[in-house]
Amino acid sequence: MEILRGIDIAIPKGQFVAIMGPSGSGKSTLLGLLAGLDNATSGALLLDGVDITGLSEDQMAEVRGRKIGFVFQSFQLIPTLTAEENVLLPAELAGAGPEVTSRARALLTRVGLADRLDHYPVQLSGGEQQRVALARAFITKPPILLADEPTGNLDGKTGQQVLELLLELNHQEGATLVMVTHDPALAEHADRIITLRDGLIVSDVMTAVESAAG
Amino acid sequence: MSRPNAYKTAAKIAWRETRASSGRFLFVILAVAAGVGSLTGVRGFSRAFHTMLQRDARTFMAADLSVRTFQTATQPQTDEMNALAKQGIERTQITETLTMALAPAGDAPVLLSVKAVDPAVYPFYGTVTFNPPMDIKTALQPDTIAVADGVLLRLNAHVGDTIRVGGQPFRISAEITNEPDRMTGSLNVGPRVMMSRAAIDRTGLLVAGSRAAERYLFKVPADLQIATVREDLHKVFRDALIADYSQAHPLIEQGLRQSTTFLSLVSLIALVIGALGVATAIQAHLEQKMDSIAIMKCLGARSAQVLRIYILQTAGLGVAGSIVGIFLGSLVQMAFPLFLSRYFQVSMAPRFDIVSALQGLAVGVLTILLFTVPPLLGIRHIRPALIFRREMSAPPLSLREWWNRIAGSLISGVVILCFVGLLAAWLSENAKTGRYFAAAIAGGIALLGGVAWLMLRGLRWVSRHLPRSAGPVIRQGIANLYRPGNHAGAAVMALGVGVMFTVTIWSVQRGLLRDIIRTAPPGMPNVYLLDVTSANRDAVDKLISAQPGVLGTPEMLGAVNAQIESIDGVPFLRENLRGVARRYSRTVSVSPAASKPAFTEIVAGQWWAANDKPAVAELSVGESAAKILNLHPGSTIVWTTPLRTFTSKVVAIHKSESVRLSARIEFFLTPAALQGLPAIYYAGIRAAPAAVPAIQKAIYEKFPTITVVNMAEVLDTIQGVVDQISLVVRFISAFSILAGTVILASSVAGTRFRRIREVVILKTLGATRKRIGRIFSVEFLVIGLVAGLMGGLLAGGFAWAALNRLLNADTPPDLVPVMGSIAGTAALAVATGWLASYRTLGQKPLEILRDE
Repeated sequence: MEILRGIDIAIPKGQFVAIMGPSGSGKSTLLGLLAGLDNATSGALLLDGVDITGLSEDQMAEVRGRKIGFVFQSFQLIPTLTAEENVLLPAELAGAGPEVTSRARALLTRVGLADRLDHYPVQLSGGEQQRVALARAFITKPPILLADEPTGNLDGKTGQQVLELLLELNHQEGATLVMVTHDPALAEHADRIITLRDGLIVSDVMTAVESAAG
Repeated sequence: MSRPNAYKTAAKIAWRETRASSGRFLFVILAVAAGVGSLTGVRGFSRAFHTMLQRDARTFMAADLSVRTFQTATQPQTDEMNALAKQGIERTQITETLTMALAPAGDAPVLLSVKAVDPAVYPFYGTVTFNPPMDIKTALQPDTIAVADGVLLRLNAHVGDTIRVGGQPFRISAEITNEPDRMTGSLNVGPRVMMSRAAIDRTGLLVAGSRAAERYLFKVPADLQIATVREDLHKVFRDALIADYSQAHPLIEQGLRQSTTFLSLVSLIALVIGALGVATAIQAHLEQKMDSIAIMKCLGARSAQVLRIYILQTAGLGVAGSIVGIFLGSLVQMAFPLFLSRYFQVSMAPRFDIVSALQGLAVGVLTILLFTVPPLLGIRHIRPALIFRREMSAPPLSLREWWNRIAGSLISGVVILCFVGLLAAWLSENAKTGRYFAAAIAGGIALLGGVAWLMLRGLRWVSRHLPRSAGPVIRQGIANLYRPGNHAGAAVMALGVGVMFTVTIWSVQRGLLRDIIRTAPPGMPNVYLLDVTSANRDAVDKLISAQPGVLGTPEMLGAVNAQIESIDGVPFLRENLRGVARRYSRTVSVSPAASKPAFTEIVAGQWWAANDKPAVAELSVGESAAKILNLHPGSTIVWTTPLRTFTSKVVAIHKSESVRLSARIEFFLTPAALQGLPAIYYAGIRAAPAAVPAIQKAIYEKFPTITVVNMAEVLDTIQGVVDQISLVVRFISAFSILAGTVILASSVAGTRFRRIREVVILKTLGATRKRIGRIFSVEFLVIGLVAGLMGGLLAGGFAWAALNRLLNADTPPDLVPVMGSIAGTAALAVATGWLASYRTLGQKPLEILRDE
């Protein structure tokens, strides 16, 4: 079955793109392709000018480790690691030394969890878990941040707080942000909104935020 | 940023993972510990025992050097020993024999093993201790004896009482609490009576031809070479067993080596089962970790990195399990002296054996790592997209990818088998054993796995076709076996292997004893008389015949000690002989027989006529001796006896029913050839069991130096020995059952979350705790029944084959162990299953459903 067709987009450095569309429109598949989690049956994907199409799984993992940060709808923290250890994980996998611990703590402090370092995910609320996931996403200073419905599992107020944190951190770290969302209110914060339907791009517009900035 | 070592990072992450789920790994650690524990226990004890034999060798021999023979020393031998004495070598003689003793108020005399020593000299090393404490010279006066507690028990006597030995009264001066050379002694059949040489002379037990073992103990001055002294003695004691302290006791050493090999291999089976369990547990663990692995891959982890984390985690679990196993092994090590206490006075202080501990650690970790390679390799196939889009189905595998996966499993399997084979070869110090062991393990696991699979499939079919009236409890209990992640097949197989092994040992033990009792033909003697002299022969015959309860005609055979000098003109020298033939270079028993003894049949040649008086003595040889010595009718043998040398011609080859007295004699001669030579007679009587004590007492009263052996007591002794050996083997093989139960527990614990969900859903739908309990019980019961049935039936088959094919017994299949194993395994499985899951029953539905 063909999920995505005729997708031809370029996302410049530092841009915040929201991908919208109804369920089954191919949003998450597009995000997965961008992350190199799956291979497109045809076409090419260039990351920082480098063609990542056809890279092996391990080569792709290395690219992800260096360049991509993730925020998932269901947080995806490792249940057997503490908050601090979850944040440290991508950096350690990338070969970071012990000095990264201070950055992890700083990030957790910035997301308001300085007193929750040793808590396991099960001991944290949904909002707190997503904040840990935010800190984890930024630990390796990735140039690209991919977020899949980051507030989808949170109530309105907590979702708003998490979004503000995400945007604030992104602003400070200067990453390119691609976010999949159902929520038009969330998409309003983006520089650009791409809307998919049945695997096709039905609209690709710059928002007022970008226009004002531009 | 400084890049830390990749292994260090992996170890850090592995540790964090393990720390958070330590409870889940308890079963893995226990499964490893069971295998490693039995292995280190066996090997640790063996090494400690060996070290003790070496360290205390002089004490165990009570000397530097010992010569054991079954004859009193000849003149040249005595001359040589006297010559050695002039060089400062001290010597003492020990005589060991069997006799009967009777307590004043006793009903029947008891068979005892007598040891006569010179208390002024014996022992050169070590100390004989007594209760009440006294020195050996005080304990062993010409009219006193010291006895082991077994004598007091069996005669119902006390220290201070007087008992009769060889017809003479002796006061029991003390109980023997330690006898240094007990394990290197001879004729240790009955409980020990120790007396002085002056005392044994009073008994009249020792006459020419009596069955007694002589040991000459030597204490060699430090400036003399033991090897030279040994060489000098060997020149005159050609048939004797000469041992010096450097080799302690060759037979015990050999027995120790063989038992260690056997028990090590039994332990290895427990370890392999444990390793299979660990592989199952790791697989279940990885199935639960798929999300975490996918997350790690999403966050940039390469497969090799994730693999490293889980390999280190597994290795860590292997180390932890092995350490627990080493601790368990030291407990096993402490249990061994208890098993041996009946035979050896082993006073081993518990000590930590670092070599066996390190061996256990290495074997444990390597085994676990290798067995978990196949599930660990599965990490490579976990796709990061799994976490990102769960509905994304894995793309179909190409033929090449599919083959790569199959090939990976096959290669892992072959490597594992090679490793197990190498391990077995190392443990047994024999490459062939290693190959057979690996083949047997592969075949056994394939067979058991296949049978387990078939049984579980069959059961599923049955449960689906059960009538509605069977009710939901049975149907659901059986259906639970096929719950995802429930490794019922692995649990059944592991338990089945353990049961099969243990029950095989039990069945063989039962079968052997039943065979001995069952195959005794009607009329077979159940009382034997030993050491009947020529002078007493007719009187004894008369006395026996007059006894009430004696059935049939008693058999009586005389035996003269003789040595083969040459066969067909070729000198018969020990150094020219190989294997069992060497046995015939020592003194053998030859018997005069005018006519063919009863229960004997001629297989070649012809027996002599009753009144023949041939010029050259004629001889009939037992079939097996003829084969070993290459004798046939027409062969000539020259014999040497203390009084004369004579020639004989083989005229017949015979065979006797193995249970008959005549089967003990391999050479029958025409009576004239043995005329005038000192003969000792043996008699076999068939008597009503109730009459045996009275017969024993009547013979003892009249002929106190004759030993009367009641076969019922001998059977008891055999049973005792077989029980003891079987107990040790069962003790070690029980570790494989332990590993099996751990696997079952781990499999049950692995499905805990699914069970909790089931419990709350069933409770929500109105099921009571009792009903849910019954459903779970059916599940555990079925696992136990299937494992017990499979293990029991296979054990029954193997035991039958071992008894009838290997041990030449003739036994029908024995169903008692099979039934016992089914019931026992079912009970064990239900208990283990509940132990691992009882907490799930208490779950409150709302707590769980709210979290979903």
